[in-house]
Amino acid sequence: MPDLVNLTIDDLQIAVPPGTLVVDAARAAGIDIPIFCSHPKLDPLGACRMCLVEFMGPRGSRLDTSCTVRVSEGMVVRTDTEQVKAVREANLAFILLNHPLDCPICDKGGECPLQDQTMEYGPGFSKFIEPKRRKKKHYPISDLIMLDQERCILCWRCIRYLEEWEDKPQIGLFERGGETLVDVFPGQPVDAKTSGSIIDICPVGALTNRVARFRYRPWELMRVPSICTLCPVGCNTRLDERVHELRRIVARENPAVNDEWICDKGRFLHQYVDHPARLTQPMVREDGVLRAATWDEALHRVVEGLEAAIEAGGHQAVGGVASARVSNESAYLFQKFFRVLLGTNNVDYPDGSAVSATPGGLSAITAIGKSDVIILAGYDPSEATPIIDIRIKRALLRAGAALIVINARGIELTRYVDDKRVNKGAYLPVTPGDEAKVIDALTTAIRQGQEQAAKGAKKAADKSAAPRLVQIAAAVLGAAKSPLILYGPDIARGARGRANVTALSNLATTLNHPEALAYIGAEANSQGARDMGMLSNALPGQQSVAEAAVRERLGKLWGAPPPAEPGVSYDEMLAGRVKALYVMGANPAVEPAAAETLRGLDFLVVQDLFLTETAQLADVVLPASSFAEEDATYTNLERRVQRGRMGVTVVGDAKADWAILTDLAGHWLAVEAAHHAPEVVAEVPDWKAKSAKRGRKARAGSGPEHRPWNYGNARHVYEEIGKAVPFYTELRWDDLGELGMQWSAPLAPRQPRKAEPVEVAPLPALPDGGLWLVSGPLLWDSGVLMEYAAEEICNLIPPPFVALAPADFASAGLTEGDTVTVGSEYGSVSLVVRADDSVQPGTAWIPAGLVGAPAETLGARRAEPVAVTVAR
Amino acid sequence: MMLSDTSVAEIRALQARYPVARSALGPALYVAQNQLGWLPPEVMEEVAALFELDPAEVGEFASFYHMYNTHAEPGQYHVEICTNVPCMLRGSGQLADRIKARLGIDWEQTSGDGQFTLGHVECMGSCGTAPMFACTEKTTGKIRYFENLDSEAKVDEALALITAGTAFETCERWPAGPYRHGGQADTNFLLARVDKPDSQKIESYVADGGYEVARTIVSGGKTPAEVIEEIKAANVRGRGGAGFPAGQKWSFLPAGVYPRYLVVNADESEPGTFKDRMIMEYDPHQLIEGIILATYAIESERAFIYVRGEYYYAAQQLENAVAEAKARGFLGKGIFGTDKNLEIVVHRGAGAYECGEETALLTSLEGFRGHPRLKPPFPAVAGLYGKPTIVNNVETISNVPHILRHDAAWYKQWGTEGSAGFRIFCLSGQVKRPGLYELPHGVSLRELIYEYGGGLTDDAGELKAIVPGGLSMQLLDSSQLDVTMDFESVQKAGSSLGAAAVIVIGQNESMVEIARRTVAFYREESCGKCTPCREGTGWLEDILERVEAGAGRTEDIALMLYIADMIAGKSFCPFSFAAVWGLQSNLAKFRGEFADAIADATATPVLPVRPTYRPDTGVPSGMTTPSLPAEEKYNAPTVRR
Repeated sequence: MPDLVNLTIDDLQIAVPPGTLVVDAARAAGIDIPIFCSHPKLDPLGACRMCLVEFMGPRGSRLDTSCTVRVSEGMVVRTDTEQVKAVREANLAFILLNHPLDCPICDKGGECPLQDQTMEYGPGFSKFIEPKRRKKKHYPISDLIMLDQERCILCWRCIRYLEEWEDKPQIGLFERGGETLVDVFPGQPVDAKTSGSIIDICPVGALTNRVARFRYRPWELMRVPSICTLCPVGCNTRLDERVHELRRIVARENPAVNDEWICDKGRFLHQYVDHPARLTQPMVREDGVLRAATWDEALHRVVEGLEAAIEAGGHQAVGGVASARVSNESAYLFQKFFRVLLGTNNVDYPDGSAVSATPGGLSAITAIGKSDVIILAGYDPSEATPIIDIRIKRALLRAGAALIVINARGIELTRYVDDKRVNKGAYLPVTPGDEAKVIDALTTAIRQGQEQAAKGAKKAADKSAAPRLVQIAAAVLGAAKSPLILYGPDIARGARGRANVTALSNLATTLNHPEALAYIGAEANSQGARDMGMLSNALPGQQSVAEAAVRERLGKLWGAPPPAEPGVSYDEMLAGRVKALYVMGANPAVEPAAAETLRGLDFLVVQDLFLTETAQLADVVLPASSFAEEDATYTNLERRVQRGRMGVTVVGDAKADWAILTDLAGHWLAVEAAHHAPEVVAEVPDWKAKSAKRGRKARAGSGPEHRPWNYGNARHVYEEIGKAVPFYTELRWDDLGELGMQWSAPLAPRQPRKAEPVEVAPLPALPDGGLWLVSGPLLWDSGVLMEYAAEEICNLIPPPFVALAPADFASAGLTEGDTVTVGSEYGSVSLVVRADDSVQPGTAWIPAGLVGAPAETLGARRAEPVAVTVAR
Repeated sequence: MMLSDTSVAEIRALQARYPVARSALGPALYVAQNQLGWLPPEVMEEVAALFELDPAEVGEFASFYHMYNTHAEPGQYHVEICTNVPCMLRGSGQLADRIKARLGIDWEQTSGDGQFTLGHVECMGSCGTAPMFACTEKTTGKIRYFENLDSEAKVDEALALITAGTAFETCERWPAGPYRHGGQADTNFLLARVDKPDSQKIESYVADGGYEVARTIVSGGKTPAEVIEEIKAANVRGRGGAGFPAGQKWSFLPAGVYPRYLVVNADESEPGTFKDRMIMEYDPHQLIEGIILATYAIESERAFIYVRGEYYYAAQQLENAVAEAKARGFLGKGIFGTDKNLEIVVHRGAGAYECGEETALLTSLEGFRGHPRLKPPFPAVAGLYGKPTIVNNVETISNVPHILRHDAAWYKQWGTEGSAGFRIFCLSGQVKRPGLYELPHGVSLRELIYEYGGGLTDDAGELKAIVPGGLSMQLLDSSQLDVTMDFESVQKAGSSLGAAAVIVIGQNESMVEIARRTVAFYREESCGKCTPCREGTGWLEDILERVEAGAGRTEDIALMLYIADMIAGKSFCPFSFAAVWGLQSNLAKFRGEFADAIADATATPVLPVRPTYRPDTGVPSGMTTPSLPAEEKYNAPTVRR
């Protein structure tokens, strides 16, 4: 290849791309050069001096750091000379002078690069007899991280990570010379949302994980590659288990997804897996109280309850809602159970059918780094997907991208639209529900610009009536060559959401990059749930329920076709459109209105990890396993299908969601069989006979030939998915490997590529003194899992609050910390109020998922904008 | 808000002086410190907000530089005695004892009335006028040097002046006036004007024909390329220490890349050097004329003078001179009525030797900790703010007007083949007449020390050792008196000419003490970036302290040689050589003294006790362990330091 540089390291001839650092070239050639400060994903520094090697030149050889020198043609490097050996030995002696050697009580001991390198290259004994320097030991620098300054060897990796990836230089070097310390500023803990990455890259035990501290010795751990299921990025992780307990989670490298970083929620939120409050056996309601039951009994009760509801109200009287956090296998079997066995399309998940999503999500996560303008519409990466947040920051600060934020609130990344270090961007504030108008104005402004350019108008006679900010954004976008438009569920719900997404699609088309538009879901497997057809209006493969050919094809696979009648959506089901509901992993009861509906149901089944608010209302509760306890696949926001592996044994009698559904189907089919073959009733267990008797009249003589559900493991389910979902066919289970595979975007169902008119109803008038409610995700919200998290994490959940624009705050005569009553037509809540200049005048910001679900109570998840009043 | 409105306004004005606001961070912290006496975390947070920085970025910056009080508020007058080798050789120990007795306080203490805090500092650039202390007035941040404090009476006089509250009416050195200088009559150029009345004023400089060279050349007398050629032909080697030819450096600038910057390195911190200070304090216009010519040559419109923070008076003189030159149209827009522009910003550092290294200086000037940065790219390609930058020493730039007044041949009539021209030799230590001597390159050490310096002081005895180029250079011994002071000869003799700072050491001095004090300086001034300097210098100091305290071991000499060898050249910047050359040459030439000190050891080395990380609970156990004596409680060992 002509583009490679040839060099010799230790007599080994190698060729690497130009610009490669010698240390990386050596690593690629299998030559080990010890390093501390150098890191493949951080800028070269050359501070620790471990990697000094000999460079042979015409004027003799010289020592230099292989982590700072880039390869050049004909370079000759030696890493194995006496001189190099002596220098490494001395350097380790220097590093160890003031290192406390408290390895026996250090979490890093056993997986410590300093230990390993001392063994490999160290002097073996110490010539140092002077007293060691004392510094501060084990003190917290955040709720999550502990710092030990004595162990620190000043490699600056933590400092550089926060600077180069997070752009939050919250850790620094203080003092100088031998007194140099790594520290935070007094009273300013680290709050970067991926701060835990610095624990992974610390080459000693200076930074330790407060949640996992002292809970393992590294050599005792079973390490299993897995996937994080807390957001749709699907970061690659490793689960570290010891004596059947998940001790910690660390990042696993996947350059296409998360490099080698994970966010703090993904790292530190795992104690729920082993929490004593986990459901360990099924429960059934008897005399108004839930009591423990066997699986047989509980599943029988489910069959009975669902049958009764169908008998009473027909197939449309039953429905299922799930969370999009569940695996592909579970989502697939969930919809299959309802469609094939219960004969209804009533399956959905929050932000499922209600949301106008793009079929394939993001083209690739790595596309962020290659785009020149990034538009964030109703999507806050910092809170929703911190790994996307650092990718965006990197694109802005290093790759010259510009940022346009379209949001009702000035999200954290808004700070980059006017940052001197970043190309000029724009922030377009929008009124909730009226986003389409602004997006449309932007598209129009761009189109005008294009037309003017086409006409060859030298001077862009700016007669555009568009507001100044829209003009700025249009100018930025007008020059875009590789734009990216990311939007989230908050602006994509219902009819207004459809209009918004049409407007965004028009924008993408106008920019000649229709593929640039990407929907970023809220939950880990949003994309997978969509692919699996866990939607009231779509079948597996994202095919419309209305397509007869698709129904027929699936019917052949399943033994019975899905019903043609469209299902009802999540919101409709929770508004009382069904009589019996099956809830898998969702917790709708946090919303008072939904809880009311649930109480009025004839029958409620809840399958979950904990006795959630919803489970407490259930007739049958089924214990499910967590992601860490099962083998399964998940599809992330860039269509990457990745395997999560079982890292710990499952608690009690809990089972994977798909396994419960398989067992349930078995029960259901047994009962069905009994209906159709009354002569064998005597041979079936007593409970089946009872059911058969009751159901006989309704069923006799009808019903398709159901095939048995023979799924012994997740792989069996996945293989069937390959048959049901065309674009999963190519992705074989064995080929997924540890890094996963993307399904091919061109296989996605077609989307309209023509500009469509945007039709949106005018906003209702805001009542006097009213404010529009603005809500959105918060990383440290108080979801179900957070309830069972380690104490350190719980400290990060903010107390429930409402934030107003400073002007509104002042004009209402409020003071910081006042308790106010916030009311809407759906409910009213009591909250602490604060002023926040990221909030737009005329709006009130209440994040989703706060303790007590105030935003949800007020109606934040509704498709129509909600007006609220704030009163003391 | 702790910062007053005036302070905030001052900081805003400072930010506007630089192309990138962050450069004003150091000056802004001075403003805050002058207002509050020190820099508590709360005020650093406020400064951070003004700069849109994270507080940690301000904290790490402030704690790097010794002139910011980040830990405690000092007394109204912070008396800091230089204890570095040149001062030590001239009685700084005695001075410290006198001051301690007069003020009734020890090192790092503040007097009961809050008036005085006593501290010691590293070389202040007063080697020719040692011993000395510098006094900082807390409320104004003014610094004044009190020098030649070689008697009880002078100490009393100086302290009385401070106590009376009149000491800071001027910041000129005390006693006032230029310090001792001299040299050969026909090479008296750089210091020719310093004795004249009002030598620092523009009227006096212009009256002596000043700015004429600049006016002529900038008005078209020579093209920039011709100026570079002339300087190249004159082979002016850098006066900062490395001796790199200035003209050659200028020609490294990449064509067509603008803006370009000239940064004058006035961070004169090498122990033994005090020449740039004299130029800046008593003939600043000479430097400014040099800057005008240099920026014209390299086509730059903005120059920075990075003055070490301790040189308060020099910075004041430069500020005044810049203002005067601007008022006359020699600086600013359209200088000398041409279409050329030039702004000069005088930037004060804040106490860090490492910032004399050119990349560390640029990093510091950009508002960061003074760590050196990766070369390549060299500053000439990507320097200040990533733009092509030339960094030159004060004396180097001051040579430029003299050369251009004549020509390269004129300049080369002095000096040697490889070391053209004349230069200022800084003579300090145990000689009768320490001072600055302007002489051609190639003068012998014997001539310098005995003819100009008047020989050794009476109590010093015979000559024992000479530092030829500043404390970081290798020692020469009395047999090498005939070495001539040019780059080639000194190198041949096993050392370097460096900044031509000659420190003379007499027979009665302990070379162990010299070694310890030298190493202590580099331990103190290591920037802390690289492992070998950061850890190794402290280790060497520990060993030397132990040897001095009579607890040396036979293996310590070999150990020190090993450590020094593993520091030298193993770090990122030349500091690693500077840190150990003195010790290495000392051990090579005077090994016997070290061996004697070790042979005379009276104490056994104190073996370190490992710290106890789990404090004793203090709760008696209810159980008995037969093998432990019942009454004897286990005492956790304590740590010595």
